[in-house]
Amino acid sequence: MTKKFILLFLILLFIFTFIAEADDQLKIAVIPKSLDNPIFLDTFEAVNQKALKLGVKVEWVSTFNKNNQELIAMIRRLITRDIDGIIASVDDTPAFREVIAEAVAAGIPVATFDADSPSSKRLFYTGIDNYKAGKAAAKGLVRIVKERNLTEKPLQAMILTGGKDALNLNLRINGFLDYTDQNINLTVSDTLYCNDDFQKAIELLENYINKNPAIDLIFFVGGWPFYVPPDALPEFQKWAKQGGVSVGIDIFYSALVLQKEGLLQYLIGQDFRAMGEKSLEYLVKYLRTGDRPPGYVEVGLEYATEENIDELIEIYKPWQVK
Amino acid sequence: MFQSIRTKLLTIFTIFGLLPLIVFGLFAYNMYLGALRNRITEYSTEVVVSLQSDVDNYLLDISTLLNQEEDYYINQFIQLTRANDFAGNRKYTFRLWENFNNQRSLKRGLVDTGLIFPDGRQMSTYGLFYGEKKTYYQLDNLKKTSEDFYISKPHRNFLNQTVISLVKYFKPEQDEESIIYYADISLDSLARMTNVKLGEKGYVLITDQTGQIIYHPERENIGEITSFFSSIKGDQEDPDYFTTQGKEYIVTGQNSKITDWKIISVAYSREIGAELYQLRQFSILIIAMMIILLLLLSIYFSYEVSYPIQKLQGLTHQAAANDLSVEIDIKGDDEIAQLGQSFNKMIKRIRELLEENIEEQIMIRELEMESLQNQIKPHFIYNTLDMIIGQLESDRNEEATYLIEALGKFFRLSLSHGKEMVMVANEIQHVENYLYIQQLRHGTRYEYMVNVEEDVKDYFMPKLLLQPLVENSIYHGILPGDKKGLIVIKGYCEGSDIIFEVVDNGVGISPDILSEIDETLSNVNQKQKHKDKYFGLRNINLRIKLKFGEDYGLSITSKPGVKTVSKIRLKKTGGEEIVQAIDS
Repeated sequence: MTKKFILLFLILLFIFTFIAEADDQLKIAVIPKSLDNPIFLDTFEAVNQKALKLGVKVEWVSTFNKNNQELIAMIRRLITRDIDGIIASVDDTPAFREVIAEAVAAGIPVATFDADSPSSKRLFYTGIDNYKAGKAAAKGLVRIVKERNLTEKPLQAMILTGGKDALNLNLRINGFLDYTDQNINLTVSDTLYCNDDFQKAIELLENYINKNPAIDLIFFVGGWPFYVPPDALPEFQKWAKQGGVSVGIDIFYSALVLQKEGLLQYLIGQDFRAMGEKSLEYLVKYLRTGDRPPGYVEVGLEYATEENIDELIEIYKPWQVK
Repeated sequence: MFQSIRTKLLTIFTIFGLLPLIVFGLFAYNMYLGALRNRITEYSTEVVVSLQSDVDNYLLDISTLLNQEEDYYINQFIQLTRANDFAGNRKYTFRLWENFNNQRSLKRGLVDTGLIFPDGRQMSTYGLFYGEKKTYYQLDNLKKTSEDFYISKPHRNFLNQTVISLVKYFKPEQDEESIIYYADISLDSLARMTNVKLGEKGYVLITDQTGQIIYHPERENIGEITSFFSSIKGDQEDPDYFTTQGKEYIVTGQNSKITDWKIISVAYSREIGAELYQLRQFSILIIAMMIILLLLLSIYFSYEVSYPIQKLQGLTHQAAANDLSVEIDIKGDDEIAQLGQSFNKMIKRIRELLEENIEEQIMIRELEMESLQNQIKPHFIYNTLDMIIGQLESDRNEEATYLIEALGKFFRLSLSHGKEMVMVANEIQHVENYLYIQQLRHGTRYEYMVNVEEDVKDYFMPKLLLQPLVENSIYHGILPGDKKGLIVIKGYCEGSDIIFEVVDNGVGISPDILSEIDETLSNVNQKQKHKDKYFGLRNINLRIKLKFGEDYGLSITSKPGVKTVSKIRLKKTGGEEIVQAIDS
């Protein structure tokens, strides 16, 4: 009788412990810039897989289209929910800095990934060295220019980027321009902003080339126009086939296909999987142990070259979402 | 205070004038109020019926989004989510976000659609997250609709918006565990649908079947139990007047056929009154003006009617106090004016009668005095007394006694106790006494005959009418002549009149004298030419006319040397009439 009672007690203790653990699972909100940006699908996949391993819950929330105002409202709403930590891709604007401060004040640590707001109260940032990425893209471009003996020729360039306030994108541009200024005769004719909207990016690109077919170079600060199949970019294909040179940042399947076809000359990639995994891992560790992670967690760059293009195409499967 | 005619008239005019006005005013006001209420209640009924239809159609439309059991992406997503296959699931996840967002874009008022797993995981337009457990379990309290979906009470969604969820239990392929497929609609969509004009403050609210408020324009009331619910019986389309906290409302309810919700329109009854405010103010102004006008008219008319009466009353009092100089001055031709004119005539007549009476009395007194003077003429008395002495000396005591008796009766009847009217029989006896005495004095100079019908003797007549005429016949007719005289006194009836004739066969009256006498007797009211002459005749004639009127009086005809006829026409007077006449 006593043994049965002890056994029952142990079983109940185990159940309560399990329930308590289950209930005490950390809940981390991961916030991409928008849900409709497939570039974050790798992060989505990786962060959820990592969450299973870490025994935490992950909430993947954002506005469907990029909308900073609504996104900030959503973060405010998250602060009032039972969230233990936030990992977000943000613009470096006062509004984001303010809402991050609110979250931190509420006891919710905030980490940034992909795009950083270094002057905010975020705990740490996980991503690439965007300046270095821009510089790497410039190196690739200079190399091609030299191969084509265009070093001395005055070259007109167009830059297609996301938002004006995106610090990561601006750093890439800075890195790019710093390097090209030193090595080739390049002038930036225009900078186009698509606000992380791939459809707008396609429209801007096609219209621009149509109106400015003599443009020599294009620097894609992000891979937005290539989220769709290459057939959606006839003007760009035509321009590229006529000798237009373009380099870009972000590696994914459809962009790699363009590079393989010779329509893109050089791509620098970010490891979005690693961004998700590392940011979650560091934040959970911080929450569980209090160990403060470094302010910057670098995930490193990938380079798509003629040598490794086939290998990368094998790795990067098509998204099948557009 | 309220005894005067004027006050009574004023009161009556006011009441009878004011009462219909007030009744009509109230009637018209109530008629308009009723019509307005009917219009508002009909409108309220139309509104709730229309809203019920709109709400049901809207919910049905949204609910069609939930019919996705065959959707490949959803089934794949559910299957892979359960397997925690994030690599395989990412494209379905992305597709579902796109689909959810497209639905949200297409349906106005739809703020979110998504799936809820039993462990609380929620896939929605906002991402993939863990819904608050209470939200999930609250869905156990979902109300089953008549269609193939459930509906929730208002609750907060992921973005803290107040929403109502349409829910369907999703049966994914190869999975028996129920997953909730939901569509959240914003309360704003209900606000938009129910934003109808019901006066200034009227509004529409929605409750569940227990009266708990699902939608109210003032959001803080959501979740409360509305007091209006109890006034709605079943699927009531007819409005109800509901009073709470001293305010009256027009409440109309209509049941949603799908959700069993109740759409209730609430209109403020006072606002109807407010709409009627101008009309009421105008009506009050008109009624007030009418009342003032009516009062003024009442005062005027009551014055117009009562003033002559009051004046008449005052003059009557004055007349009653022996002031017959009064005369009322009333203009117009109405009854009051006629009454005034009659009053004036009456006063005038009284005045005339009094004057006539006074004159008559004076004349009677004068006549009596003359008669007495004549009768007490010394030679009349001496002769009569000498006759009595002679009779006594010659032992004709019986004759003397008779003569004394006759003289006594003569004097007694002359006075008649001061009465004006005497019986004809007494007047005849008076004349016979006179003639008896005079005949004794004058011996055989004349004879006399009294021929009066017996019927006539019972009537009354003014006294001392016949004796002066008989005296005239003796002294002016018989005695001046030299022939045997005869005096005949006749009395007879002629219709309603009594005729007396004193006829003598004396010397008669010459035409000139007769003409003077006629003139004197004809113009009784005119100034007399022969005032000092024919006093006795004029006196008799005037007394008769004063008593009986112009149709009566004295007339004298004469044929010189043949006869003279003095004729008196009197009105038959007797019985009670004479008593009254005597008393008066």
